[in-house]
Amino acid sequence: MSDTEHLVKHLPNDIGGAGCHEKISITERPLYPWEKRCHALLDVLDYHKIVNTEEKRRGTENLGTEMAGKLTYYEKWIVSASNCLLQKGILTPDQIADKTKEVSERFNIKM
Amino acid sequence: MSNDHTHTHSDHAPILHDEVPCYYEILEISIRELLVEKGLIGPEEIREQIEVLDSRSPALGAKLVARAWVDPEFRKRLLDNGVDAALEMGITSYDDTDFTVLENTDKVHHMIVCTLCSCYPRPILGLPPDWYKSKEYRSRAVREPRAVLAEFGTILPDEIKIVVNDSTANQRYMVLPLRPKGTEHFTEEQLEALVTRDVMIGVKVLHN
Amino acid sequence: MQIVHHNPARFQVGNMASVAVRYPIGHYRVPMYLRGKQVEIIRILGRYINPEEEAFGRNAGSKIWSYLITIPQMKLWPNYMGDENDRLEIEIFEPWLEHLKISNNE
Repeated sequence: MSDTEHLVKHLPNDIGGAGCHEKISITERPLYPWEKRCHALLDVLDYHKIVNTEEKRRGTENLGTEMAGKLTYYEKWIVSASNCLLQKGILTPDQIADKTKEVSERFNIKM
Repeated sequence: MSNDHTHTHSDHAPILHDEVPCYYEILEISIRELLVEKGLIGPEEIREQIEVLDSRSPALGAKLVARAWVDPEFRKRLLDNGVDAALEMGITSYDDTDFTVLENTDKVHHMIVCTLCSCYPRPILGLPPDWYKSKEYRSRAVREPRAVLAEFGTILPDEIKIVVNDSTANQRYMVLPLRPKGTEHFTEEQLEALVTRDVMIGVKVLHN
Repeated sequence: MQIVHHNPARFQVGNMASVAVRYPIGHYRVPMYLRGKQVEIIRILGRYINPEEEAFGRNAGSKIWSYLITIPQMKLWPNYMGDENDRLEIEIFEPWLEHLKISNNE
């Protein structure tokens, strides 16, 4: 076995029984408004089969181990959705670049 | 570009909102607006779906549980076909998933996890808590369910068999807990009030 | 019109089966911890689009059987700390299940 093939075969989301011993942090919080909108967006994308739920999951699984470990739950969702929409040719890189710049400026955020 | 979503206020910009959107919120707004501009989704669809999400909460699951406790025929139908039984109570599935109810007995205790992602009966219980989606819960619940239960304050005797249900594809699970003793004269409404989300996930039990 | 069932379920409730040891890439719905294990079919759940294909954009077409299976925790984890009767249940799709080659009286 090559020393890297497990990275291909074993996806970073597949963690059942896999060596995590930390205590569970049992806290409650409401979702941020954008997180709920993100959830609703992905539901709507699934209804129209623009990006279905399994595609979105694949997208979160294929972000790579570093992003999988560092991004929060809905951060992964929106990056996954963006990648899926790009891969399917529904959006282009230019459109995302231009729109994120426009939205940032709307909020007076320097990109 | 700032992608530090943990800071909430920019030093150099007038505060237009309580919180400056993080990078990922900018991305969410951008993707949504692009899809609306292309006519692929309607501008009202997101708001309508948020209303659907907001209409789902553990109170719906509690209704199913209480009805199953007082109506043996409904209980059978609920265990046989969760989707149809929920529909009987006016609870629709909005996400095309199946719904299977797991019956706890005095010998068997079920608990639910999704090790691969975060499958959860959202149409019945609403959106899951963070801990359900955490790597700690997802990783440990399958391998050491009794230790995990203990962290929730749930200690079960060895003679109760623990069944962990790993939810990975189309089925969404909910636990039908044991009806506590001394509730024989409770109304259905009073029974509903006893049933919590964590009991229906199977990390807690109702005290007898 | 007579309905012809071209693909009846290959497993019945009570059957024992092995979970295949195989490695799709990109997306899968069978956790590593289950591969190669001997499991018991406890419920036939119905037919669904293969989620491992759905993940690459297939939204319609043929469906495959899905089963609820059970396995003792002791068979999954070395040094399992709970009770010997504890079990795990999980949904699994037919392409991942193999009939046992030899009779097994476990």
